[in-house]
Amino acid sequence: MSEIGTILWIIPILPLAAAVLIVFLGPRLLRGFSHVPCVLALAVSCVLSVYVLIHVARQPDELIHPTYYTWFAAGNIHIPVAFRADPLTAFMLAMVTFVGTFIAIFAAGYMHGDDGYPRFFAEVSLFVFSMTGLVLADNYMVLFAFWEGVGLCSYLLIGFWYEKPSAAHAARKAFLVTRIGDLGFILGIILLWITFGHNLDYEYVFTNAANVNRGALIAICFLLFSGAIGKSAQFPLHVWLPDAMEGPTPVSALIHAATMVTAGVYLVARSMPLYVLAPQVLLFVACIGTFTALLAAFIALTQTDLKRVLAYSTVSQLGYMFLGLGAAVYAQHSRLAVEAGMFHLFTHAFFKALLFLSAGSVMHAMGNVIDMRRFSGLRRVLPYTHIAFLCGAVALAAVPLTSGFWSKDAILTAAYNAAKEGHHYGAVFVLLFICAVITAGLTAFYTFRAYFMTFWGEERIPHEAGHHAHESPLIMVVPLMVLSVGALFAGYIDAEPFGLTWLGTFLEHVKHLPAMPTESVTATLLDRVWLLVVPLAMSLGGIAVAWLMYVRQPAWPGVVAARARALYELSWNKVHFDEIYNAFFVLPLWLFAQFCRIFDLGVVDSIVDVLGHVPRLIGGLFRPIQNGLVQFYALAMVLGLTVFLIALVNALAK
Amino acid sequence: MILYPAMLQNYLVVGAILFVLGMIGFLARRNLIIMFLSAEMMLQGVAVNLVAFAYYHGNMQGQAFTLFILTVAACEAGIALALILILFRSKRSLDVSLWQELREPGQEPTRDEEPLVPPPPALPLPRLTPAGIEPRPKEREESHV
Repeated sequence: MSEIGTILWIIPILPLAAAVLIVFLGPRLLRGFSHVPCVLALAVSCVLSVYVLIHVARQPDELIHPTYYTWFAAGNIHIPVAFRADPLTAFMLAMVTFVGTFIAIFAAGYMHGDDGYPRFFAEVSLFVFSMTGLVLADNYMVLFAFWEGVGLCSYLLIGFWYEKPSAAHAARKAFLVTRIGDLGFILGIILLWITFGHNLDYEYVFTNAANVNRGALIAICFLLFSGAIGKSAQFPLHVWLPDAMEGPTPVSALIHAATMVTAGVYLVARSMPLYVLAPQVLLFVACIGTFTALLAAFIALTQTDLKRVLAYSTVSQLGYMFLGLGAAVYAQHSRLAVEAGMFHLFTHAFFKALLFLSAGSVMHAMGNVIDMRRFSGLRRVLPYTHIAFLCGAVALAAVPLTSGFWSKDAILTAAYNAAKEGHHYGAVFVLLFICAVITAGLTAFYTFRAYFMTFWGEERIPHEAGHHAHESPLIMVVPLMVLSVGALFAGYIDAEPFGLTWLGTFLEHVKHLPAMPTESVTATLLDRVWLLVVPLAMSLGGIAVAWLMYVRQPAWPGVVAARARALYELSWNKVHFDEIYNAFFVLPLWLFAQFCRIFDLGVVDSIVDVLGHVPRLIGGLFRPIQNGLVQFYALAMVLGLTVFLIALVNALAK
Repeated sequence: MILYPAMLQNYLVVGAILFVLGMIGFLARRNLIIMFLSAEMMLQGVAVNLVAFAYYHGNMQGQAFTLFILTVAACEAGIALALILILFRSKRSLDVSLWQELREPGQEPTRDEEPLVPPPPALPLPRLTPAGIEPRPKEREESHV
C-alpha cells in the first residue's frame, strides 16, 4: 500500500485509539489528564490531514482510493472499507481535525473538574473518528456507517449531563428527529444500490450516473437530501439543533456548529455529479435552504439565550450553504456552486466554533448563566473573550474583509448567476437571492444584538458568578485566539478581488462535474458592484440598527416589540414549531403508543397468561402423586411392572 | 443329574415365594433395616431361580450369575448400611416415612392417620447382684507436687 494510503487510515484510527485508551484508563488512571490522549491524537491527525491536503494539492488529478478490508461480501455484492482522498475530502478533513484540535484544547479548560471528564474526551475522540471516517469514505455504505456513528456521538454528548431531564430529552429529540431524515437516506442508498447494479463506490456511481433512469436518479437525490435535511437541521427537521445546546458548550461548537451538521452539506456536495442530472432536486435544495435561512434568522432575532441565538444562526448559515449548492441547477455552474457551499462551510466552521467557544467562556465566567438579559457590559471583565467574540461576530455578519464576507459573497454570486441565467428556474432564483440578501441583514442584526447585549451597556453580573467573575484560563484563551485569526483570515483562500483563488483552483479538480464555461460568469462590472454593495449595505445596516437599538437607544427594542406584537410573539415562540409538531406528530403517536401499551398489557398478555395457566392446572391434577414417600414410589413401580408383565404374558400367550 | 420340568417348578415356586415375601416386606414395613433385609430376600428369590434354571439347562451360566449377585449384594449391603447409619444419625429414627423432602413443593407431607404405637419402654438391663465385700472407695491421693 502506498504511503498516502497508510496515512489515510491512520487519520481516523488515532482518535479511535485515544477513545479506547481513555475509556479503559480514564476513570482510574488518567482522571484529570484524560484530555491528553484526545488532544494528542487530534493534533497528529490534523498534521497528517494537512499532509494529505498538500499531497492532493500537488497531484490533484491522481485518484487515491485505497481499499483496506472487505466489510461484507455475498455473491456479486461486495462492500469494501475503502477511503478516498480527493480535493473535497482533503479540504474537509483538514478543517475538521484543525477545528477539532483547538476545541478539544478549549474543552480541557472548560470541562475541568467535571465528574464525567474522561467520558467527555472519550466521546469527543470517538466523534472525531466517526467524522473523519465519514469524510474519507469511498462508498455510500461506509459513509452511512460513519454517518450513524456521528449521530450516536452527538446523542451521547448532547445527553452528557444525563442527570438533567432537559439534556436527556434534548438528546432523545436530536436522535429521533435526525432518524427521520436517516430513514430517507438509507432508502436512497438502497435505491442507489438497485439502480447502479449493486455497486456503491463513488467512482462507479458518478461515472455511470448519466446512463441510468432519470426518474430513479431524481428519487435518489431527493432521498439523499432528506438525510442531509435531518443531519444539517434544515426545515422541517431543524427543531433538534437549538435544543442540542443542552450539551456542554465545546460540544455545541464542535458537533452542532462546525463539523457534524455540515455533513449534510458535504453529502450533497459529494453527490453533486448525481445532483447536476436532477436539477429539480437542486431547486428544491435551494428553496429549502433559503427558507430555512430566513426562518432561523427570524427566530434568532428575539432569542435571549446566547447559545440559542448562535444555534439558530447555525441553522440559518447551513441553509445558506444549501442555497449555494442549489445554485448548481445550471450544470455548468456546478463547480462554482460546490465551491461556494464548501467555502462557506469552511469559514463558518471557524467563526461559529469561535462564537460558541466565546459563549462558553462567557458561561464559564458567569457561573453557567447564559441568558443575555441577566448580564451585560462584560467587555472589561472578559477582555480576551470580548475580542474573540467580536472577531466571530464580524465574520458571521459578513463585515468586509473578514472570512464570512468572502464566503457569503461566493454564495450570493452563485445564486445571482443562477437567477441571471434566464432559464425557467431563473425567476425562482431571483426570489431566493432577495431572501438571501434579507437574511444577510437579519444575520448582521441578531449577531450584533447578541454582541451588544453581552459586552456593552452597564456592567451587570449575575449572582451565580460570585464576586470573582474573571477571564478564562490560558488554556481556553489560546484556542480562542487561534480561531479568531482563522475567523478573520480563513476567507483569504478564495478572495477573488485580491486575485486569491486557491480554493477555486483546488476544487477545479473534483471529478465528474461538468466543465465550467470559459468566459467568466460575472463578467459585467455592474454585476460585481451589485454583488459587493448589496451584501455590504445589508451587513453594515444590520450592525448599525443593532447598535442603535441596543447601545444608543435601549428603549427602542421594547417599543418595536410592542408595535409588532404578533411578529415578536411569533419569533419569540420559535414560530410554534415545537407546539405544532407536538400536536400533530408527537401527541398522536403518544396516544397510539398508549393504546398499544394497553392492548399489549390487557389483551395480549392476558391471552398468554391464560395459555400459561393451562399446563399448570393439568399439572395440579398429578401433583399429589409426587408425595416423597419412598414406599409409595416402590408400590407404583411394582404396580406398573405387574401391569406390564400381565400385558406381556397375554401377548405371548396369543 | 437332570431336573425334570415338574421338579423345576418347585424351585421356581420357592423363588417366587421368596421374592413376593421380600416385596411385601419392602412395601409394608417402615424400618429401614427391615426394608433392606426384605430387598435382600427378593434378591435371593431371583438367585434361587437362576440356580434352578442353570441346573435345568445343565450349564454354569446361572450359577456364575448367582455368584456375581452375591458379591454385589455384599458390597451393596455395606453401602446401604452406611447410608442407613447416616440417616439414623440425622433423625434419631429408622422410620422411612420421616424422609419425605423430595415431594413437590407446596405439597403437604403425608401423615399417619393414627399415630404410631409408642415403642415399649426399654426393659431394664439385667444386673448382677453384687457379691462379696465391696471394696472401700479409695481415698483421694495426695498431691506429690
